[in-house]
Amino acid sequence: MFRVILFSQWKWSRLIVVAGSIAGFALPIISMQGASADRGALQAQELLRAAQSWGTLYPVLAAALGLLVAIATWAADHRGRHIHALTLPLPRWRYVLLRFGAGVTLLAGPMLAVVLGAVLATVTATIPPGLQGYPIALALRFAIAVLVAYAVFFAISAGTARTAGIILGAIGALILIQILATLANVDLDLWGTLQVVMLNWPGPFAVFTGRWMLVDV
Amino acid sequence: MSYAIEVESLRFRAGSFELKDVDLHVPTGSIYGFLGPNGSGKTTTMRLVLGLLRPLAGRIAVLGHAMPEDGPRVLARVGYVPEQPHLDSTLTVREIITFQAAFYPTWHRAVAEDLLRRFELDERRLFARLSKGQKAKLMILLALAQRGELLVLDEPTDGLDPVVRRDILAALLEYVSLRKATIFISSHLVHELERFCDWVAVMDDGRVVTEVPMERLKQGTKRLIVSGAPPSERTGETPFVVLSRERANGATERWIVGEWEPEMTAYFEGVGASLVDVIDLDLEDGFVELLRSFRAARG
Repeated sequence: MFRVILFSQWKWSRLIVVAGSIAGFALPIISMQGASADRGALQAQELLRAAQSWGTLYPVLAAALGLLVAIATWAADHRGRHIHALTLPLPRWRYVLLRFGAGVTLLAGPMLAVVLGAVLATVTATIPPGLQGYPIALALRFAIAVLVAYAVFFAISAGTARTAGIILGAIGALILIQILATLANVDLDLWGTLQVVMLNWPGPFAVFTGRWMLVDV
Repeated sequence: MSYAIEVESLRFRAGSFELKDVDLHVPTGSIYGFLGPNGSGKTTTMRLVLGLLRPLAGRIAVLGHAMPEDGPRVLARVGYVPEQPHLDSTLTVREIITFQAAFYPTWHRAVAEDLLRRFELDERRLFARLSKGQKAKLMILLALAQRGELLVLDEPTDGLDPVVRRDILAALLEYVSLRKATIFISSHLVHELERFCDWVAVMDDGRVVTEVPMERLKQGTKRLIVSGAPPSERTGETPFVVLSRERANGATERWIVGEWEPEMTAYFEGVGASLVDVIDLDLEDGFVELLRSFRAARG
């Protein structure tokens, strides 16, 4: 069962997975371009700046991969109004797990590409003294971010248009309340509070924030 | 008599549409036609039977198991062809067959290959690129290769040309004769079901109008030409069901009746009328008259 589900998902997601793998492999290598120990401390600073600026792309890539693969996972079922899935002789939770597992398996491609790219970049580049490469830590963090994004978007995409409407409605209501509170000069920072809860540790999206450094002190 | 499908006092609501107290009894081994105009609730009832929707009230048993509670166990023994093809349009015919086979332990590969050849389906063609008839044939292939004991077919030949319809119906009849399976088939094409169904249920506006053996519906529904018929309030209790009556010419009336038996002619002598003629109705006429009388009774 898993094999056929994986195959069908591969057919819908292959472009995303291949493009994500290429980007994941290339990103660490590009971010290390120009690394050399010739110019000492100055070079180290430049390299750190480059690693930091390129590092902002890792969470973006992770979120995009999670989103697109999650959407592709359910696309065919949505198009068929879930009739085929619901008439298959297996419990619904098992079908969902199979779909989820197939998506995770496909995402292993870009995750591995980041591992390979990061290891290759740190091995082949000349890292200035005082700096150190963290290819495995970066790749692990990327993998966790991809999984978090995929899990969240998988759950949202699994729902009906009504579910999506409820989520969008809740976000809209939040924004509206914030605007009304601001207009009424009420000391209420819902958006800021939400950001703290979601993006700061142990918030679910904390993995996306902070510095993503392939090389660091 | 054992039943492949038993539905009792089923209720369901979706928006303004409502199924009310639906009762169905599909005998095991029968070909059971489910007739009704578009929008009468046939598809909804079938989806409830298969556990795709949850009823508000009532009891559904399929192959002896409660639905939707025993869904996976039942669905492993049921082949389903929905009204609209719903398969993944990015897969080829061969990939869809492989996909389906993985979920059914009873999958019969030889049957699938045989039907693939007989239906002349190109296994490399994408599902999205198939014609309507080819899609219908593929859906039937999947349902038959599962070797289910029950086939639930929701208007499987709707909108198809006569050649494709004949191919599909021939494959279904062959399957039933070999497997002794039960078929629960819906259609609004009355003449199509007339040829091979054992039982028939008629549905209208979310309610079951009648559920009878096909022969009884065909043989028992007649148009009577009655002379000197008493007014409606003086007809008393009739031994048959009067579906409609209307004035013909002069003193004669046309009555459409159900559950007619030849010996019931004596009734007319008893009320001072005479029966001029008894005309057979085909199933389509009977179906129309049934619906007309049902709607008239409901105002």
